Amino acid sequence: MAGIILRRLLGAVPVMLIVSLLTFGMIHLIPGDPASAIAGMSATAEQIANIRHDLGLDEPLASQLIHWYANLLQGDLGRSLLLGQPVLEAAMRRLPITLALSAYALVLTLLIGIGSGIIAALRQNTWIDQLAMVLAMLGISLPNFYLGLLMIILFAVELRWLPTGGYVPLSQDPLGWLATSTMPAVSLALLLAGLLARITRSTMLEVLRQDYIRTARAKGLTEKHVVLKHALANALIPITTVVGIIVSLLISGSVVTETLFSIPGIGQLLTQAVLSRDYPMVQGGLLLTTALLVLVNIAVDVCYALLDPRVRYERG
Amino acid sequence: MRPLFLAPLGLLAALTTAPAQAEQFKCPRTGGSLTFGQEANINTLDQMTSNTISTRNIAMNIYESLMTRDDNNRPILELASSMTESPDRLAYTFKLRQGVTFHNGKKLTSADVVASFDRYAKVGNQRSTLDNVKAWEAPDAETFVITMKQVQPTFIEALSSFSVPIVIIPSENRDVPAQQLTNPIGTGPWSLVEAVPGSAVKLKRFDGYAPNTSFEQRTGFGGYKQACLDTVTFRIVTEPGARVAGLKTGELQAVEDLPPKAAADMKSDKDVTILPLKNWWIQIALPNTTNAPTDKLPVRQAIQAVIDAEEVMDAASDGNYQLNVGFQYPNQPSYTDAGKATYNQKDPARAKKLLTEAGYAGEPVVLLTNKDYPSMYNAALVMQQQLQAVGINAQMKVVDWPTSVQMMLNGTEGWNYFFTGYGTQPALGALATMQFFVMPNAAYKPPGGKDDPDVLAAWRGMNDEPTEQGRQAAFARMQTLVLERAYALPFGSYTKIQATRSNVSGYVPFRIPRMSNVWLNR
Repeated sequence: MAGIILRRLLGAVPVMLIVSLLTFGMIHLIPGDPASAIAGMSATAEQIANIRHDLGLDEPLASQLIHWYANLLQGDLGRSLLLGQPVLEAAMRRLPITLALSAYALVLTLLIGIGSGIIAALRQNTWIDQLAMVLAMLGISLPNFYLGLLMIILFAVELRWLPTGGYVPLSQDPLGWLATSTMPAVSLALLLAGLLARITRSTMLEVLRQDYIRTARAKGLTEKHVVLKHALANALIPITTVVGIIVSLLISGSVVTETLFSIPGIGQLLTQAVLSRDYPMVQGGLLLTTALLVLVNIAVDVCYALLDPRVRYERG
Repeated sequence: MRPLFLAPLGLLAALTTAPAQAEQFKCPRTGGSLTFGQEANINTLDQMTSNTISTRNIAMNIYESLMTRDDNNRPILELASSMTESPDRLAYTFKLRQGVTFHNGKKLTSADVVASFDRYAKVGNQRSTLDNVKAWEAPDAETFVITMKQVQPTFIEALSSFSVPIVIIPSENRDVPAQQLTNPIGTGPWSLVEAVPGSAVKLKRFDGYAPNTSFEQRTGFGGYKQACLDTVTFRIVTEPGARVAGLKTGELQAVEDLPPKAAADMKSDKDVTILPLKNWWIQIALPNTTNAPTDKLPVRQAIQAVIDAEEVMDAASDGNYQLNVGFQYPNQPSYTDAGKATYNQKDPARAKKLLTEAGYAGEPVVLLTNKDYPSMYNAALVMQQQLQAVGINAQMKVVDWPTSVQMMLNGTEGWNYFFTGYGTQPALGALATMQFFVMPNAAYKPPGGKDDPDVLAAWRGMNDEPTEQGRQAAFARMQTLVLERAYALPFGSYTKIQATRSNVSGYVPFRIPRMSNVWLNR
C-alpha cells in the first residue's frame, strides 16, 4: 500500500511542474491588465501606471517567471496583487470553506445517488425506477445556478426556512453553518447525484445478474444481505471511480454556487483572480487545487486497493 | 492670512470655523445591526491604493481626511478645524480638530497627518495630487502646513477629492507597502471588526468617535456624523436576484444596484423603500482618433450625428437614465450644456452627408466593449444598430473588461470606439473629468500622439485661471471643443437604484453608502 502511495506521489511531481508552467503561460498570454482591474472603472493612466510599477508588473515576463519559480522553491506562492495577502494565506483561508461545502455536498450526493440507484436497480422497470431516473435526469439537466435561484425563492423568500445567502464558519456556529450551507450543498449535490444514481443503477443491475448473486440467494440469504454485502461491495469498485470524479467536479463546480450564495470559498477567489488577472493568485491557487485533486486521485487509488485485492496483488 | 472653513469649489473666500448654531443630529434610536448587500467584491480596504467603488463603499465609513466634499460636492474641512491660505497662496495651514482619536485609542496629532501624506506620496494611486507640493510639515502637534511649489488655484479641489482620498492613518502605518494595509485604522465613526474578502466586512460603532461640531448634520462624507447602529455588515452579494431575495426577506436591510424590474415590482411593497440615485455615471464611448476611419473628423461627426441617445441609454440602463449634455451631472454647479448642438442629434441625413464628404468606403468601425458591465455592452449593441442603419460597417468586439482596457491602453489597432463610464470623476467636478482628454491620460488617443492645442489651452485655463468663473468658462470651452471635435460620445447619465427596508431611517442615497446618522425603527 505504501508503495502505491509513494509511486503516485512521485508521479505527481512532473504533473505539478507542468501545471505550474502552463498556468503561468496561460494567465500571462491572455490579454488584460491586473492594474486596470485594481484601479477601477474610470482610473486615469497615471493611476494604472502607478499600480503597475508598485506591483512589479512592468518587469520583463522572463524575470517574473524566474522570480515565481525561485519563490516557489522556498514554498512562497507569492502575494496576491488584489488582496495584498500572501497567496498561500489567502488560499488556505478559503480552501477549508470549499472543502467543508464539498464534503457536505458529497455526503448528500452519495446518499441520494447511491440510494436511489440501488432502489431503481432493485425495482427495475417499475414506476419507482422510472421516477428515480426521471429525477436523476432532471438533476443532471438543471444548471446548478438556476436550481440555486429557484431554491432561494422557495426556501428563503417564500417559506423563510433558510437564509438567502451568506456564510457562517462551521467552527463558530455549526447550526448556522448548516443553515447557510444546505441550499448550496443541495444545489451542488443534485447535479451529481443524478449522475451517480444512473451509474449505480446500471452497475447494480449488472452485478445482480452475476452467478454468485444467484448462488447467494439460493443459499437462502436475506435480500438485504445479498444486496448490501454481495452486490454493493462489488458494485462499489466502478462507483468509486465515479466518486473520485465527483469530488473533482464538486470542487470545480463550487465556483458558481459560491458566487450565488456569497460563500467565500476558493472557487470564488480563483474566479475573481482570473477576471482581475491577479497572476500570483491564479498561479498559486491553481497549483494548490491541482495538488488537492492529485491527492483525491491517490485516495481513490488507495480505495481501489482496499476494495479489490487484485489491485494490491498486481501492484504489490 | 485668509482663514477658511468652508469654501465653494476653489473659491477661497475668508471664512472662519465656528461651532454649529442649530441643533445637532442626535440618534433617535441607537443599537441594532444593519446588513448592506453590496454588488461588487472588495479586494482591499487600503483606501490610499484603491480607486474602486467597492473599497470606497466601506473604507469611507472607517477613514477620514483633512478635507472632504459635502452633499453639493463642495470642499469642506473634516479632521481640520480650520485652514488658512497664505497671502502669496503658496502655503496652507491646517489646525487639527481636538479630541480626535484613532480606532486603536491613539490621539490624532499632526505627526499622523505627516505620515499619511508620506505614505500617500509613496504609494497613493493619485499621488500626482502632491506633485506641486514642495513640502508638508508639522510645526506643532496640532498644526499641519502644506507648502506649494507654485500657486495652484485648484489644489483644494484636488486635496478634498474622494476618488483616492488622502485618508489619515496612524503614523506607525507610514511604511506599509501598497495594497497591504489589511488592518485599517482610521478616525471615522466605524471601526473594522472583520473583513472576509468575497463574503462580508463587518464594522462596529467606534465609541471614541469625536464628531465634527462645526456642523449640525452629516453632509457628503463629512459633517456631524454619529454611529447610531451597533454594527454594519457589508455582505458581498454579486448576484442581483440574491440581493432582491435578501431585501425581500429582510436579511438585507439595504442594497445597492437593485435591478429596475425588481424595483418596479417592489414599489408597492410597504416593507421596502426604493431610493433611486440619479447621476450615478455617464455612459460614454471614446473614439480612437488614430485608427481609420475614426481618424477623420467628419466620420466621427457622422457617427455623432446618427446617435439616438435615448435609445442607447434606455438599453444601457433598463430605462433608468437622464439625458444630459457633456461631462458633468445636471445637478452640479459646474454643469454646462456647452456643445449641446452635438448631442442626441438623431440626424441620419446629416450623417450620410458627412460620410460622403469624408469619402467613407465601408471600412469597419469596431466597437470595443465587454459583458462584465452590461450597460456598456448594451450601449454598444444599440450604437451598432444605429450606425448600420446609415450604412456604417459597425462591428462589435466583445472581450472582458481587463482585456478591453488593455487594448485601449496599449495600442490603437483593432478598435474604433471604447465603451466605458465615468462615475466618480464627474461627481468630483469638471477638473477630475476633463483630465481624461489631455495627454498622457488613459483613454485619450489624439491624432499623432499630440494634444489638440485648443483643447490643451482650455485645460490649462481650467487649472490656472485665478477665478472660479474663469475656470468654469474654460471648462465650457473645453467641453465644447471635445464634443465638436467628437473626442467623446457621452450618451447620458445612468440612475442606480438603492433600496432599504422600511424600518431603516436616515439613509439617504449617495455615491457611497453612508452608515452614519442611520438608525433602525422598531
